[in-house]
Parts: sequence; structure tokens; C-alpha cells
Amino acid sequence: MSKTLNRRDFIKTTSATTIGVATVASGITLTTFADTNKTPVTNEKRWGMLIDTNKLSEVDIDGMVSACQKEQGWGSEVHSTGSQKPGWIKKLKVKDKATGRISNLALMCQHCEEPPCVDVCPTNASMKREDGIVLVDKHLCIGCRYCMMACPYDARSFVHETLSNQKEHMPRGKGTVESCTMCVHKVDKGGIPACVASANSDAVIFGDLYDASSKINQTLKTVQSAQIRADLNLNTGVRYSGL
Amino acid sequence: MNRLLVVFLSLLVGSVFAHTNEHANLGEQASSIKASGKVFHESVSIIRKMHPEFLRHKRDKTLRQGVRTDEYSLKGCVSCHANKNKTNNQYHSVDKKGQFCSDCHEQVGVSLDCFSCHRTIPKEGLL
Repeated sequence: MSKTLNRRDFIKTTSATTIGVATVASGITLTTFADTNKTPVTNEKRWGMLIDTNKLSEVDIDGMVSACQKEQGWGSEVHSTGSQKPGWIKKLKVKDKATGRISNLALMCQHCEEPPCVDVCPTNASMKREDGIVLVDKHLCIGCRYCMMACPYDARSFVHETLSNQKEHMPRGKGTVESCTMCVHKVDKGGIPACVASANSDAVIFGDLYDASSKINQTLKTVQSAQIRADLNLNTGVRYSGL
Repeated sequence: MNRLLVVFLSLLVGSVFAHTNEHANLGEQASSIKASGKVFHESVSIIRKMHPEFLRHKRDKTLRQGVRTDEYSLKGCVSCHANKNKTNNQYHSVDKKGQFCSDCHEQVGVSLDCFSCHRTIPKEGLL
């Protein structure tokens, strides 16, 4: 190669290398972000769910409950009595007394923006992530169950017995409180919650409430939706339409 | 008297070196990594001393900030250090007597509370 590099050659070689490096680099970042989440979550997102009660039959709701049980490994407790049994997601029947109209709800943790369970927790175990998902840090949970009393949705349950062979992504143990995690282990890797995956994609929509281009944001703008116990001003992340 | 002293000292030194012996129950995958000559933990003494701090730091980052990397994940520890029962091809729980975790923890008298909630065997189909 001649020592004097003219302008045209210089531009040719540098642009070729830049394109090469950029292709390789973008490939690397894409693959690493696909399976692991290396950066902390931020409040630029808020995960939410919209459940259309008109499009869900009782069978669909049962399917959502069993999908949750299968994913998170609850529901096979043998020593717990009826009221002690965990219920991360429940089928609820509501009847309008005036008209007699019955609707079926899938009720789980509503992932409030102002969660009462977080307010009352004495050890900071009950907490809300930056992206709006409300969780229990079982390392800090002392099993006092204040959060269960504070929750207006009866969404939390307490583990009454020794467990074994838990799911790898969902540690559960006697003496701690648990509830719907919005399948945070899947969401962090770009997935959707198990109950949403089991239902019709129009009946239950999961997504980022703040993202104007997301399906959930656009649907919430066009259809009438409600929060359960909206009078408490908790600004829930789970919304219902058709109630 | 001198002979007695020698016997006593050699016993003492012997017991010290007994602790630095190879870990008897390293686990299936960890043993094969070691046999292949790869270095997984940069320093064995650091991971022995510091693993509670590493795990605690990682658990807060994962649970509270959603950082899900493989580094210092308890799942990783379990999947590498679990042993298989040769007769029925099932994994032994890592916290059972004689297995990787309990081996040291029993010796130093530190009780282990990770596994009252966390899974003690690797996820099926992982290895």
C-alpha cells in the first residue's frame, strides 16, 4: 500500500470498517438483551393489563388460573385448609342487583401505583418496582400479614406449610406472603404473563401503559374501562372493560 | 515428651490441611469444568469467603431492579454444584447432608436458609 493515502481511499476504508463494526456491535447487543436484562428497570415504563370481561367466559378464566398455577407452582398445597390455600388469581362473579347481569372477573394483584400493602409493611419487604410491578421481597418478609389486611382486593396469600421442589424462577416458602408477580421473570426477558398468554389476545391485553404506540395504551384510549374500587384512588395497573 | 509434641503438632497441621483438601462433592458440572481446565471462579478462597455477600448483592439487584444476569445467581450455583444419584438418575438436593452446600456449612456450624424457599435441584432439562 502506498504511503500517501488519498482522500477517496481514506473514506472508502473508514466507512467499510465503521459499517463492519456497527453490524457486529448491533448483533452483540441484540443477542445479549434478548435473554438477560442487564440494566435496572426505570419508571419510563409502567406495566399494565386490560381485561375485557365480555370476551372472557368462565372456562377462559379457569384457564388463566391454571396457567398461573402451572407457571408459578402454587395450588398443590396439601396441608393448608380452604381459607389458607394460596390464590394468586381468582375467578370472581359479580352481579348487578338491579339488572341481574352477571360478569365474571379474573382478580389478581392490581399492581397499584399507590399500593396500600407497601405503605403498611414494617420491613420494606412489600415493594413496588420502578416499572410499577408490586412484589414481596421474601428475604425481608417476616410473615406479619399486615399487607394482606391492607389489600382491598384480597390479592395476597400466606404460605402455611413447608414446600419443596419450587419453580426455579419462583422461590416460595413457609412463613412468607406471596401474590401475583405479573410474571416478572418473563416480562424482564421480553415475555408476557402466563395468564395473558393463556387467554385470547383480545380479551386480555398486557403492555406498557405509558407507551403511546402499545396496544394497551391505544385500547384504553378508545374503550371505556374501569378500575376496581376506583374510589380508593390507588391508580391500579390492571384495568377492566365491559363491567 | 518431644515425641509427644511431634505427634500433637503433626495432628494439628494435618487437621489444618484437611480443610484445604479438594472438595469431595463439587457437583457434576463443576467437576467437569474443573477437569477441562477452565477457570470459573477466579479465586477459590474469595468465592469461599465472599459468596454470601455476592449472593445478597445479586438478590437485591434482581428482585428490586430486575437485573437478571447469570453472574452470582443462585440458580447457577445449584445447577453447577448439584450431584446426581447414579442409581435412579435423580438429583440430590444441594442442602442435603453430604452434598455441596451442607458439606461446609455443617463443618463451620452456619445454618443455611436459602433453600427453605429456593429450589434445591437444577431445573429439569437444563443440563
